[in-house]
Amino acid sequence: MTTQQIVDPEKIEPELIRIWEGLAKEKMRACLFNLIVFNKLSKRTDYIRNIVQKVSEKYPCRVIFISSDAESKTPYLKTAVSVVGDGNIACDYIDIGVSGPDLQRVPFVLLPHIIPDLPVSLLWTEDPSTEHDLFEPLTKLANRVIFDSESADSLLAFSQKVSKLRADTGVDTADLNWARTEGWRDLIASLFRSGENLDKLVDVRITYNARPTESFCHLKVQSLYLLSWISSRLNWTFKKATKTLNFTFEKHNAEIHTADWEKLGPGTIISVDLATTDNLLYQCSRVRTQYHRVSIQISSPEKCELPYQFILGQTATGQSLVKEIINKGTSEHYLQMLKNLEQLDRDRLC
Amino acid sequence: MSMDNHPLEETGRSTRNIDPCTVVIFGATGDLTGRKLAPAIYNLGREGLLPANFACVGFARREKTNEQFREELKTNINEHSRTKPIDDSFWKNFENQVFYHRSEFDSDEGYQALAELLKQIDAKHATRGNRVFYLSVQPKFFPIIIEKLAKNGLIYDTHKTTDQWSRVIIEKPFGHNASSAKELQANISKHLDESQIYRIDHYLGKETVQNLLVFRFANAIFESLWNYKHINQVQITVAEDIGIGTRGHFFEEEGLLRDVVQNHMMQLLSLVAMEPPVSLSAGAIRDEKVKVLQSIRPLTEEDFKSNVVRGQYGPGFINGQKTLGYREEKDVDPKSNIETFLALRLFIDNWRWAGVPFYLRGGKRLPKRGTEIAIVFNDAPGVLFKQNGRKNDPNVLAMRIQPDEGIAMKINCKVPGPSSPIQPVKMDFRYGSYFGQSPPEAYERLIWDCITGDSTLFARADEVEQSWKILTPLLDHWEKNPKSEFPNYAAGTWGPAAADEMIAKDNRSWRIL
Repeated sequence: MTTQQIVDPEKIEPELIRIWEGLAKEKMRACLFNLIVFNKLSKRTDYIRNIVQKVSEKYPCRVIFISSDAESKTPYLKTAVSVVGDGNIACDYIDIGVSGPDLQRVPFVLLPHIIPDLPVSLLWTEDPSTEHDLFEPLTKLANRVIFDSESADSLLAFSQKVSKLRADTGVDTADLNWARTEGWRDLIASLFRSGENLDKLVDVRITYNARPTESFCHLKVQSLYLLSWISSRLNWTFKKATKTLNFTFEKHNAEIHTADWEKLGPGTIISVDLATTDNLLYQCSRVRTQYHRVSIQISSPEKCELPYQFILGQTATGQSLVKEIINKGTSEHYLQMLKNLEQLDRDRLC
Repeated sequence: MSMDNHPLEETGRSTRNIDPCTVVIFGATGDLTGRKLAPAIYNLGREGLLPANFACVGFARREKTNEQFREELKTNINEHSRTKPIDDSFWKNFENQVFYHRSEFDSDEGYQALAELLKQIDAKHATRGNRVFYLSVQPKFFPIIIEKLAKNGLIYDTHKTTDQWSRVIIEKPFGHNASSAKELQANISKHLDESQIYRIDHYLGKETVQNLLVFRFANAIFESLWNYKHINQVQITVAEDIGIGTRGHFFEEEGLLRDVVQNHMMQLLSLVAMEPPVSLSAGAIRDEKVKVLQSIRPLTEEDFKSNVVRGQYGPGFINGQKTLGYREEKDVDPKSNIETFLALRLFIDNWRWAGVPFYLRGGKRLPKRGTEIAIVFNDAPGVLFKQNGRKNDPNVLAMRIQPDEGIAMKINCKVPGPSSPIQPVKMDFRYGSYFGQSPPEAYERLIWDCITGDSTLFARADEVEQSWKILTPLLDHWEKNPKSEFPNYAAGTWGPAAADEMIAKDNRSWRIL
């Protein structure tokens, strides 16, 4: 990354040209899409910056990173530019720091810097169910809005807002927590690929890492997503849930438990156990020494198969965001999962 | 349960829901396994693209233990993988899924023992009896291996067994000419249904080749120009700067036509020229490719003289270094009449391509390595912008297959300033720079496709047969008329002068790569 150059908004493009002229022999300028990031300055900001940088290294894009400072008493709007990318391919990074009434200027500052003809992804890292002046103007610019339900105060309100946004505007939506569960969804789908035993599935037990960090505190979300996905896909009829995360469906039961694993991402699912009506048990648990591997053991009262492993895929920081940017459309499974979640979480479990 | 109605699978989103299986590599101690297949399987595994229940068995004639085989693969992966060095933590687990089986290719006992080993692997790794047999061996062994596999119950009858599958990947050459290709097909189809045969042509696994269909049929602007009204000529070049290396014996039997033209170049030609398929299914795409091959105007005695140029390299210089001529290479007959260069002018007699020449050029020891398809458009009407009475350059769309995969478009532009000269400029798309990462190796994609049962990027029997039908008369002609003036081009040049003369007769010239 080159040193950030603080410039007036009208000097953004000339300054980028100047930086690139200096880099002409070292780096190639590339851009696959526009990535607008909206973030309120907080303890999560560094985390967000880190994943955005990882994304731009893998898929060069023009990053427009908006940091809103709600605490500052002095209104300001500052812009800075730099070039990111360690290899010979790099891309533009435009920072917009803003506070107070200057917030309303942001869309006007940003608009001339969107590269035409390329998709625009908006990563809205705040709770969309909380009103914000920039939400509507920025979502109007985007082909794809990516949320992180980690930021939501109420999962119920979040689900309703996302579903409504999708229904009202038709904009493609995605969710980092949904993407974070993709490996587990693939694993469960592959376990039941033949369709055999799927109807007999009766109990689900999910365990997640309950060790919080400054960036993550809503740790149940991924587990709830997974449960909501299973129950929505298999048409389970929900009856009730307890605060201790025991779920009763008409013919099925589910529990969500916690564990404390060091170094594993907070809220990350550690294990999923699935049982069938004929006492077949599928125990799937991450391997302690290699978190991206899951050991699977299938057993019944009569026999116990040797365990085997499933690789959850790349777990590098930013990978979930990359997948959500590259995917086209809005996942039907995700939308159904959200709708189902409105029932599961009607007592505000999360 | 099919993918379409499985409640837990979302079409077009997951790449992970694939059947458990075992891949058995015949010729596991060979060069291809070390350089390409082992790194491909390793990378697929490392990126989590293989099924959870997976095993790999190396089958070869040399005595070796599992441990020795694993160590050899590890060394090869470290040397040849696109991701280096090997990820030890991944390999430590993965190598336990790798086995070695020693046997002769014609030994029934060897296949019975293989069946037993695969049963054990199924029990231990839950691979559920699904098999990919990768025949990385000389083509003469294809029939015997397939016969033995079938005889020993390792090939499932597709009509009787639906919950398990067996697939066989075979490497080119698929026959030596039309009759041997037919014979090979007759031999293997005694035991295999066409849906079980995956004829691999690694060119089809390259991103740019796959992108050809996307480029043509997902971009309305190009497809509307893709015909005789707008296209002046098509040039397909497969150039290598290297010689034949250690493949002297092989090349003496094959020559460039069999090694490159009959397969890679004909595949590229059919993808460029095909009509839009009715769907993206393997069958629909391959149906259209076959139609193109069926439409190629047969080569006549006259064409052998005027539309075909063959060559063989003599001594010369590559990158300033002196190099041997073909006849001086190891394992090559000093009087060899084998071609190392071939230029062809073909016509496709259908509505779309009426009158448009397809120039094909391939060779060894050319100045640089490069494979591209160039679509040269008609000149703009020469009314405006003439410079000193000269026409402007035509627009050219060049699709680079290797190296540096990408697409370039040549357009004419005004040079800044008052005098308005016009200069051709290039708009360039490079996979590496645009997507910030190198595309995966072709073998990764193709092995993965075979495991998932997608045969789109593999050649079908009728494609192979049709391709041979076009080129066998030429081979027969050469056999009757051996070339006396070989070598006829110096290593490090763009082939014999006759190739330039052939295209110059049409007032055209070869593109400089």
